Amino acid sequence: MSGLIDSISRVRLIAGNTFLEAVRQKFFNSLLLISVALVASSTFFQQFDFGTGELKFITDFGFGALFFFGSILSIAATTQLFFSEIENRTALTMLAKPIYKLEFLAGKFMGAHMLMLVFTSVLMLVLAGILYWRETVLMARLGQEFQDGRLIAYGDLFVFGLLQWMKFGVLSAIALFIASFSNTNLYTVVVSFFVLIICQLQYIARDAYSGMEQGAGQWFVGLLGLIFPNFQLFNVGDQLVFNVEHPLSVGTVWQVVGYGVIYAVAFVLLAQLNFRKREI
Amino acid sequence: MSHPAIQIKGLTKDFSVGMRGLKLRAVDDLHLEVGDNQIFGLLGPNGSGKSTTIKVILGLLEASAGECQIYGKPSHSVAARRSVGFLPEAPYFYRYLSGRELVRFYARVCGVPRAKIASQVDEVIELVGMTEAAHRRVGTYSKGMLQRIGLAQALVHDPQLVILDEPTAGVDPLGSAAIAEIIRELKRRGKTVLLSSHLLAQIEGLCDRVAILHRGKLVREGRVDDLVEEKNAESLVVEGLSAEGRAAVEQTIREQGGQLCRVESPRLSLDSLFLQEVEQRETERREHLKTTGGAQ
Repeated sequence: MSGLIDSISRVRLIAGNTFLEAVRQKFFNSLLLISVALVASSTFFQQFDFGTGELKFITDFGFGALFFFGSILSIAATTQLFFSEIENRTALTMLAKPIYKLEFLAGKFMGAHMLMLVFTSVLMLVLAGILYWRETVLMARLGQEFQDGRLIAYGDLFVFGLLQWMKFGVLSAIALFIASFSNTNLYTVVVSFFVLIICQLQYIARDAYSGMEQGAGQWFVGLLGLIFPNFQLFNVGDQLVFNVEHPLSVGTVWQVVGYGVIYAVAFVLLAQLNFRKREI
Repeated sequence: MSHPAIQIKGLTKDFSVGMRGLKLRAVDDLHLEVGDNQIFGLLGPNGSGKSTTIKVILGLLEASAGECQIYGKPSHSVAARRSVGFLPEAPYFYRYLSGRELVRFYARVCGVPRAKIASQVDEVIELVGMTEAAHRRVGTYSKGMLQRIGLAQALVHDPQLVILDEPTAGVDPLGSAAIAEIIRELKRRGKTVLLSSHLLAQIEGLCDRVAILHRGKLVREGRVDDLVEEKNAESLVVEGLSAEGRAAVEQTIREQGGQLCRVESPRLSLDSLFLQEVEQRETERREHLKTTGGAQ
């Protein structure tokens, strides 16, 4: 038991140091500023007078910015944080200490994941603030359309943020896995983006093959669906944020979180298998 | 300690090179034993397998064949690394931490009890002579200071075995002398030190034993004095001898069946000369400042 506590403590230390290194990078700060500016700029489109549709527009705009910049950041930051340890040979000093390689990798992953927590939280707070402000203005102007109260479920906006954070966690774990056998930063980033596209679009392949009879094609798609996580499962913003007839249940949210955790843990463990043999 | 600090048996390490996976042998059937409380030098030219051997000892690389133990424990185990401190060649640390934060960070990674961290950190920082610069960011340190803070992080968890990879590479003679003095102090404290270097003059006066590697193979191993001693010759160092006296000595040597091979003046090493000159000027400067009240 004491060994496990010590191990968690070491992972926490490495994660804290990784996070500190990450937030000092100009790349993170620039991307955060651009993302916040983009979300805030969605209010400039109010001159088109969408009515209550403006809230949907702002929400979609915000979710889009979160997905786009979040994906870039989680892949680029994880890759950079890993390779900076290898190229600067700080990993040599660290791994000569009484720590397991899995602890080192888990610390790197957690540090990158903490960075994504900050990024997601800031963007969600900005988006919630803008939505609340615009909804208040629209309520005063179009009172009859808000008879049942506010349209946006603000609590669920942050639940959506949590799910996106989980998705970024899976993406970071995938980038870490690719970095564990790759020799260059660039290769890792490019391959990670390809994997992101596969994860994001695999539902098209699933749809195309769902009507097929049992065969090699269906078997292949089934395998693909098992290896690559389905990121569409995390895209439940509309169901969560707007009070629709069938809101997402808490159980489903936890299932999606569990799905993300399983994939993230699996990819970190796979990264450890590669990293064990890596010559540092 | 009943076990030697390091025991290496038949260690071989091959690297795969290129797409076709050709094997490059970096260490070839190495047998080595480093006893407790020794300063042991691993010598050899670049590419002789010193760093690879050290990485295998630290569990950073897996051996292709053979085994390596640290105080009786397999060297790739985490338990074995608890008793090891390591300073890599040309160390690079987290630039945004101060020297003290860095040493503290590694103390926590090594599991130094929370109550002891502050005192341990202060002690090693003082040992390496970095107390005054400990608050500065590592990114502002000179090469010699990096080596010293690197030594501090290697020592902070009070390891029994300290491994130093090229500890004086790129460091000026003053810095090298300071690092050598720290290594001697470690021996006085009962530690075992394994150091690799290709700067032989610095190693000679420091190590108890040395091993010389060449192309991954062990060439020679033993006590420094035994290895460098000319077994069939002795030297007499004489002062104030007249020409007649010298002729008489030469005559006596011939009469006793000996042969005078060479007559030479004892020489200081360049390292010693440099240190002597610099230290003399530093002493003069300090005295001058004292007498002028530090006005300059």
